[in-house]
Amino acid sequence: MKRALRGAVLPVALLLLWELANRSGWVDPRILPPLERVARTAVDQVVNQGLLGHLGSSLLRDVIGFTLGTLFGLAVGTVLGLSRIADRLFMPTFNGLRQIAILAWIPLIAIWFGMGETAKIVFIMAAAFIPVVLNTYEGVRSASAQLVEVARALTFTRWQVVTRLYLPSALPSIATGVHLALIYAWVASIGSEYFMTVGPGIGGMIIAGRERFEMDLVMLGVLILGGVGYLINRSASLLEAWLLRWQRA
Amino acid sequence: MITRRTALAGLAGALASPAIVAAQTAKPLVVRFGFANVGVDNRQFSGGSSLAVAHAEHYFEKELADSPNVRIEYFFFKGAGPAVNEAFANSQLDFASQGDLPQVVGRANGLKTRQLGGNGAHGPMYLAVPANSELRSVKELKGRKVSIFRGTNNHLAAVKVLAANGLTERDLQGINMDEASTNAALATGNIDAAFGNFGLLLLERQGLVKIIYTTKGDNPAFERQGTLIADDGFVTRNPDITQKIVTAFVKAAHWSSQEENRDAFFEISARSGRPAAAYNGDFSGQALKYRNSPLIDDYLLEQYRTQARQAREYGLIRREVSIDGWFDPQFLQAALKQLGLERYWSRYDAGGKPQDKA
Amino acid sequence: MRTASLPLPAAGVSFPPAAVALLFPAFLLVLWSLAARLGWLPPQILPAPEEVGSALLELARNGDLARDTGISLLRVVEGFAAGCVLGLLLGVAMGLSPTVEDYVRPLFTAFAQVPTLGWIPLLMLLVGIGEGLKILVIAKAAFVPVTLNTLAGIRAVPAHYSEVGTVFRFSRWQMLSRVIFPAAVPPIFTGLRYGLTHSWNALVAVELLASAEGLGYLLVWGRQMFWLDTMMAAMAMIGIVGFLLDRVMAMLEARLQRWRVA
Repeated sequence: MKRALRGAVLPVALLLLWELANRSGWVDPRILPPLERVARTAVDQVVNQGLLGHLGSSLLRDVIGFTLGTLFGLAVGTVLGLSRIADRLFMPTFNGLRQIAILAWIPLIAIWFGMGETAKIVFIMAAAFIPVVLNTYEGVRSASAQLVEVARALTFTRWQVVTRLYLPSALPSIATGVHLALIYAWVASIGSEYFMTVGPGIGGMIIAGRERFEMDLVMLGVLILGGVGYLINRSASLLEAWLLRWQRA
Repeated sequence: MITRRTALAGLAGALASPAIVAAQTAKPLVVRFGFANVGVDNRQFSGGSSLAVAHAEHYFEKELADSPNVRIEYFFFKGAGPAVNEAFANSQLDFASQGDLPQVVGRANGLKTRQLGGNGAHGPMYLAVPANSELRSVKELKGRKVSIFRGTNNHLAAVKVLAANGLTERDLQGINMDEASTNAALATGNIDAAFGNFGLLLLERQGLVKIIYTTKGDNPAFERQGTLIADDGFVTRNPDITQKIVTAFVKAAHWSSQEENRDAFFEISARSGRPAAAYNGDFSGQALKYRNSPLIDDYLLEQYRTQARQAREYGLIRREVSIDGWFDPQFLQAALKQLGLERYWSRYDAGGKPQDKA
Repeated sequence: MRTASLPLPAAGVSFPPAAVALLFPAFLLVLWSLAARLGWLPPQILPAPEEVGSALLELARNGDLARDTGISLLRVVEGFAAGCVLGLLLGVAMGLSPTVEDYVRPLFTAFAQVPTLGWIPLLMLLVGIGEGLKILVIAKAAFVPVTLNTLAGIRAVPAHYSEVGTVFRFSRWQMLSRVIFPAAVPPIFTGLRYGLTHSWNALVAVELLASAEGLGYLLVWGRQMFWLDTMMAAMAMIGIVGFLLDRVMAMLEARLQRWRVA
């Protein structure tokens, strides 16, 4: 209880300072809009401007990109982990390409896929793909030699070996990869809205707020991003835990 | 504005659009029209040109009323000319209102397009500074933070103006910003100056900036041009629809060229969010017929030849671009004939002087 | 009995890993060159590789590449340094004092939930688009992982280390400098490495949004002008510098390990 109270001290103090700064006219209200204004903007955005719709669009884009990127990443990571030839042929190129900061790919993707949702989803897919490939690859590759023996003994088909032995044993790594992918995909979703053609979304709302110099809109966007970010992080942990539970089964 | 349903529908629709395009061989046809600008606050309107009027007053829809399977979708690009190029490069647009430099850049990179008519010739370019700035002339821009929206026809005009003052882009701290960002940055003094067009006039009206230089009244070689441009493949596949589009365009150009419509023209342009007075200022001293002429005459051709040559000179494009075969006046001629407007607009020769009636 | 692996080449035939690594890129290069020559893809989508090469050389020759790379690097170094210092201080404070952690942790966590990209427009409104913005954004990007890892590192120091210190009657300062910090160095260093990676990514983000120079700026300029060759050259440089930065950190980490063991 004491800890919770202590934890609340700083945030409450900040809010008080905020109110004070506005009341006393200390700060330009354009730089630091009064709390009530941010609250009013929030209500207005939800009721009149379709904020939930924007949020929904961002999340939908995120989920689609994440799912496609993760599935694709699982497939590629498994192949790379299982096949030494594929590993030696393709991993160096993949490792080289992934050195390029993901955001730096945006201009190229924009030119290759043009306007519209496709380009954004491709970008989000790429952001999710990378950690999933890496972690799946690591996980599959480090499956113990004993598994190979067991596989031989049980006369599994190739498909069965992969799905019944390798993937389950690689699950901890895969779970980490999926966790990261969920987080990266969300950031990529926002990034895609910043840098690619305008469409519905929270990122677009923040950029619009910045252009119109409406600090309350930008702050609202930051709060929403924080909230969603927190939810995404929690979901990622839960997803990871669920995947690991699956392993024990 | 955008409800959740519309947003999700839009998202789903956009995802499904490749399927729509693939099914073009079947009857329902979607004609995709792009504008290399967007209104204030992302308003889906353009202003100050015949095509802006054509869109706002539904000229195309009226012309296509007898083809119920044909629908038009409009796209307004915040990223201006370069973004329109990205869309053309991915076969996502059929027609566009676009400026000279991005068109030349597109052609230099192998975009297969066709020029169908003039839309906004003799366009001025402005240099604006924050209202309390001490900058007075182009020469003083050296080393300053200046917004230049690269790849747009403002860019080429800016480069020429800089060159006339002994400067290059690298002599400034040039920041690439679109209109909205530029306006915000000027208003707060985050940048020292900006090159641009209509958007700056809006700010001037609000007293936020001073225009310290304009190409109006200076060397006409600094002017910007724009046209109605189309995807070459679409025109080849759908000449009848193309003709209808061009005819509607000429009708709008005719309306936009009549002086009695002057105020109405600015009012319609104001739907973009920039005040009518701003457009009034931009067009001051110029006849509507002069700016809104759709003709592909020697003047326009010579302008584009020059733009192509100078874009190469200033290193904006990497290879020579020839305008041969790019301009296709057949649709324009047919429309003029159909509407009896062959003698309405003056043709200008390569030097910019009116030609005798041919 | 078949296993899941593909059959390996016949015994006795082995290829040096370096050669194999280059096979796929070489194949892509040939395919690329062919595609450009035969016009499989329009030139605005994919320029010929020779053009990208000559663009790279041109940029290297006229000093643009060097200058923009240098500017980007300088920004990262400055921002990273600032973020690290703050992160180390906060991490140590929270790690050593549960009271401080109680007060600060919730606010810090809330702050950390918002991705760097989300902070950029806010900071743009507050401090404009000059160098200050870049440094702040980069510092923020480094600050969060450094703080978290430093905190975890200090926390993870096993209790018996401190007991040994007590046995030796170490002063507070000696405890910190002889026992706690050396033990916490590996996780702290991991935090620094993550911080540098995040810093480099943040630099790209902020240069893409608002810059007059730097590698991100070069990328934007290339995009506006449809200079795919310039874009690819800038992307390559971003990748190379990002890789080198991480390599340097890895080497430092290895050196630190050796020093610790000694």
